[in-house]
Amino acid sequence: MDPEQVDEFVMGYLKKKGFNSAAKQLQEALHHNNGGNFNSTDYHNDPELTKLIRSFSQSENDPTRYRDGYSKLRSWAYNSLDLYKHELLRVMYPLFIHCYMDLVGKGHTQEARSFFNSFRKDHEMVHLRDLQKLEGVLVPSHLEEMEFARSLRQSKVNIKICQYSYDLLLQYLHRTESTLMLGIINEHINFQVYSGQPNSSSDDIDAVTIVGSFQETADHVNQKEIQWGLLEDSLEDRLEKTGSLLTDSEKGQGEKDGDMDDSKKRSSEIGKQGSSIKKLKKDKAGNATAKVARQETSTVSPAPRVKPELALPVMSTDVEESILEDLRNRVQLSSVAMPSVSFYTFVNTHNGLNCASISHDGSLVAGGFSDSSVKIWDMAKIGQAGNGALQSESDTNDQIVGPNGRRNYTLLLGHSGPVYSATFSPPGDFVLSSSADTTIRLWSTQLNANLVCYKGHNYPVWDVQFSPFGHYFASCSHDRTARIWSMDRILPLRIMAGHLSDVDCVQWHPNCNYIATGSSDKTVRLWDVQTGECVRIFIGHRSMVLSLAMSPDGRYMASGDEDGTIMMWDLSTARCITPLMGHNSCVWSLSYSGEGSLLASGSADCTVKLWDVTSSTKSTKAEEKNGNSNRLRSLRTFPTKSTPVHALRFSRRNLLFAAGALSKPAS
Amino acid sequence: MSIVPKETIEVIAQSIGITNLSPEAALMLAPDVEYRVREIMQEAIKCMRHSKRTTLTASDVDGALNLRNLEPIYGFASGGPIRFRKAIGHRDLFYTDDREVDFKDVIEAPLPKAPLDTEIVCHWLAIEGVQPAIPENAPLEVIRAPADNQIYHQKDGPLIDIRLPVKHVLSKELQLYFQKIAELTMSKSNPSLFKEALVSLASDSGLHPLVPYFTNFIADEVSRGLNDFLLLFNLMHVVRSLLQNPHIHIEPYLHQLMPSVVTCLVSRKLGNRFSDNHWDLRDFTANLVALICKRFGNTYITLQSRLTKTLVNALLDPKKALTQHYGAIQGLAALGHNVVRLLVLSNLEPYLSLLEPELDAEKQKNQMKSYEAWRVYGALLRAAGLCIHDRLKIFPNLPSPLPSFPHKGKGKLINTEPHKRKLSVDSSENRSPQKRLIATDGPNGGPSPMQVDKPMGDNNPPQTFVQPSSSEQASDGKEPESRNAKEKEGSHSRAITRKAILDQIWKDDLDSGRLLVKLHQLYGDRILPFIPSTEMSLFL
Repeated sequence: MDPEQVDEFVMGYLKKKGFNSAAKQLQEALHHNNGGNFNSTDYHNDPELTKLIRSFSQSENDPTRYRDGYSKLRSWAYNSLDLYKHELLRVMYPLFIHCYMDLVGKGHTQEARSFFNSFRKDHEMVHLRDLQKLEGVLVPSHLEEMEFARSLRQSKVNIKICQYSYDLLLQYLHRTESTLMLGIINEHINFQVYSGQPNSSSDDIDAVTIVGSFQETADHVNQKEIQWGLLEDSLEDRLEKTGSLLTDSEKGQGEKDGDMDDSKKRSSEIGKQGSSIKKLKKDKAGNATAKVARQETSTVSPAPRVKPELALPVMSTDVEESILEDLRNRVQLSSVAMPSVSFYTFVNTHNGLNCASISHDGSLVAGGFSDSSVKIWDMAKIGQAGNGALQSESDTNDQIVGPNGRRNYTLLLGHSGPVYSATFSPPGDFVLSSSADTTIRLWSTQLNANLVCYKGHNYPVWDVQFSPFGHYFASCSHDRTARIWSMDRILPLRIMAGHLSDVDCVQWHPNCNYIATGSSDKTVRLWDVQTGECVRIFIGHRSMVLSLAMSPDGRYMASGDEDGTIMMWDLSTARCITPLMGHNSCVWSLSYSGEGSLLASGSADCTVKLWDVTSSTKSTKAEEKNGNSNRLRSLRTFPTKSTPVHALRFSRRNLLFAAGALSKPAS
Repeated sequence: MSIVPKETIEVIAQSIGITNLSPEAALMLAPDVEYRVREIMQEAIKCMRHSKRTTLTASDVDGALNLRNLEPIYGFASGGPIRFRKAIGHRDLFYTDDREVDFKDVIEAPLPKAPLDTEIVCHWLAIEGVQPAIPENAPLEVIRAPADNQIYHQKDGPLIDIRLPVKHVLSKELQLYFQKIAELTMSKSNPSLFKEALVSLASDSGLHPLVPYFTNFIADEVSRGLNDFLLLFNLMHVVRSLLQNPHIHIEPYLHQLMPSVVTCLVSRKLGNRFSDNHWDLRDFTANLVALICKRFGNTYITLQSRLTKTLVNALLDPKKALTQHYGAIQGLAALGHNVVRLLVLSNLEPYLSLLEPELDAEKQKNQMKSYEAWRVYGALLRAAGLCIHDRLKIFPNLPSPLPSFPHKGKGKLINTEPHKRKLSVDSSENRSPQKRLIATDGPNGGPSPMQVDKPMGDNNPPQTFVQPSSSEQASDGKEPESRNAKEKEGSHSRAITRKAILDQIWKDDLDSGRLLVKLHQLYGDRILPFIPSTEMSLFL
């Protein structure tokens, strides 16, 4: 605590009690001290004494003092210089909530409510969700009970403020002797004063988010080192290394494509990169764009390779071959080469579809329903071969109506509560589903039967995800934990605890060494699978995080929240690269394209949007200097017909699959 | 203090059999009840989010209660929203609308249809980044279909989602009105009634639903009735009236209207009879086009450029008929002097050289052709003349300070009079094509009266013979007056300052001077009547 502030408390106390002469003497002494530049009194450094002094200043608290103090400071801040105004206004929010909680804590319920209502409008725009939570707190015991309030009261907020604004604020508080406000500021705000001009961006994310007690821990945690690179000897890796060899052998097999030689030349030019650029069989236009894309990618340093920390399952060679084939045939996407989007619309769901999931090749679609059922459609059987083979719409429709109303899906019954999530294993032979009945079930798509029931969570399991290599899977639950499982054990291998609220979504890192979890506490965390430790905390969202996606090179992560904001994070620095604004409702699903140049997002506002990742990540450095970041790098928006988009998946060949349930438009 | 009033607590207490709840206890309980309700709702919202919904349902609340190990509330699990009714006599008491159902009815009712089973339909949302225009995709311009249409879809359990065409409901009266107007336009037998109809079209406020029908009608009839001159004229009148109607929002239909209008301007043949005065129609349409451009040019930036492009193409194509050229020239002239200067005058010289042989009576034996050529020549001359007149208008504006001197009353009279006459001639030109024709051709009458008169005689001999003399009178009258004015000016000391201004403008307008010289070369003295008198004296 600053010595001046302590002095201020003492002064305030003396004056209040009517010890005017003593106050005068103290003032003189203080002046003397400042002039003489020595410190005779040691009460400045004694925390006990400080607390005592502060408690004196708060001792006779009349509830109206909060209101008066706050409203005075507020009108002062609103009338301050425009240049410093936004910095000063930033201080108002923590003051507001702490004033309110203090009032509640002291039992002045009536005053607290009226105080809250009269100033609530000021903060609604940014902090609406927090306010809604706090609004219900009316009795001191609620403060103890409610985690959010407790953590707020125990922690300090960091506010960056420029020197001049800081001086202005302190001067004002001293002049008006608003010791109460000063007390709250001292207790709950940690000013990070910097010299120079005030920060121009008034909507700096760090500045406005108020999180619980984990700001410091987050800073601490984020120091840890992580290996975000791709796995050594992964398929992509192998493909790049053996690229030229493969094209040779293919040539030997007698595949005679017109641009075969062309692609071979290119591959020898660029070496490793070249092979990832597959010959595009169909169109030369695609080739041209691919060329552009390659030049772009070749400037980016390739992702480093890391060793797997888990014992990964061995893939059978034919599966491996098919994946390699897919990768070789991948269409190169960029801001000029857009993907095709195939949309699976669920009809007649009667509002019961809770989740949808699409297998890696798009041929299987699973839906989890609120009536505890899981249904799996084999789109290849229905008539629309999932990948590439396209049939006319009329064809599909005929077949969908089906033979005499016999259902053309596989019904999986077993859960005893709404199914909240389903996920396919990479080859599509298994499905996992999680439910409100706290269990996770493993189903075989070949046997159409339940194989295992995994019990471990104590509350509804919100999300479950297979690892990129299968065998392992991660789940997260209302019990605030995320868990790592393997298919062959009925008990979890690791339990990740740390989130302050429900863990709503989970996603694997491409190298399987980490999982990311998004939570209702508005943070995203990254966990080390091997140790179970939290290695990153990403703070910035303003509402619950609903969806996560990892870029294929493992460098970036995207997270979408309830308000429609998508944030792109750099995993190594835990910084938000760019917020992508555009959706105006929950972002249910996110997916990166195969080479990571595009991000697709599906939202409750019935649109699929495509975002340009490469430009968003590249441009930020240059734009940071300019101060204006190009937030809207939205490439396309595909509106659906009143169908919220529940799931998205880029196939290995970069065809985008989307799924959603046709819903009645709000009238 | 709490949003849950004390009374509510008391009522709840009574309902569960606690009769002796003290008011203090109720007061203490109220905030806690509110907190618990909020807590439940917070969890319910979580359940809603994980069910991927944006509307909270009773099942979400049940889910939240489950999370807290509470018994769910039974009886609200129906699909539809619960309807609350206001209790009569109470301001803020509501109850759920729960009808009494006779048990017999329930038993005897036929079994309800089994709900349709869940299906998946697949379609392309986008192909290489472009949304295909198929019924499964949302229409690109989001024009919301009537709500009942969509609800109907929902109820029907859309296995295949097909968007029905939007139905317009057209009242009986409007249908009758449309029929009547169409009949009048087609019949041409009752001009006075048709005029009434046009007035109604131009002023009635409730006609907007009919606009698409009218545009359709006009487009159809124009394409079908190119041989029917009167019909075309009537149709153009209808267009004009529609444009004049302030209550009609015609912009979305302009793209449908424009082709018909432009057809009436530059079509090779309008009407099949010799007596059809298609020149009138072209002039009328030219003004119509100008009107459209003026009104919608701001909203449709490309409108005028596209239009002028069409017209210039028509003008510069030597293979097109002279009638088409005439229409194009009139259209361009109506669009304003800048358009004329930029597009017509720049092409004037080569065009006139092309026109020359047609004009010559010896070479062009076909009288009709020669007449057409002279019409075109006249139109060109008028366009160029008006353009140069406008260009030089700065000068006649100069004397305007004069009226400010009271003692110069006479000079004012003298100066303004020729203007007035000029103006009146101009405006009458616009209003009545017949008179205009004379005014433009009148000056021609001077040097070559023979050629003009001869073809004109076919149509309307009396006016032509009268008009040249009158216009000559006008110009005769102009000469002395302007001289008079000049003397006055000279006598006045103001002349010096005016000279300075003139010098400056002269500098600016060197190019207009050049233009004038060029026009003079091309047209000879025929251009002179277009030059304002004071200005002419400067040039001469």
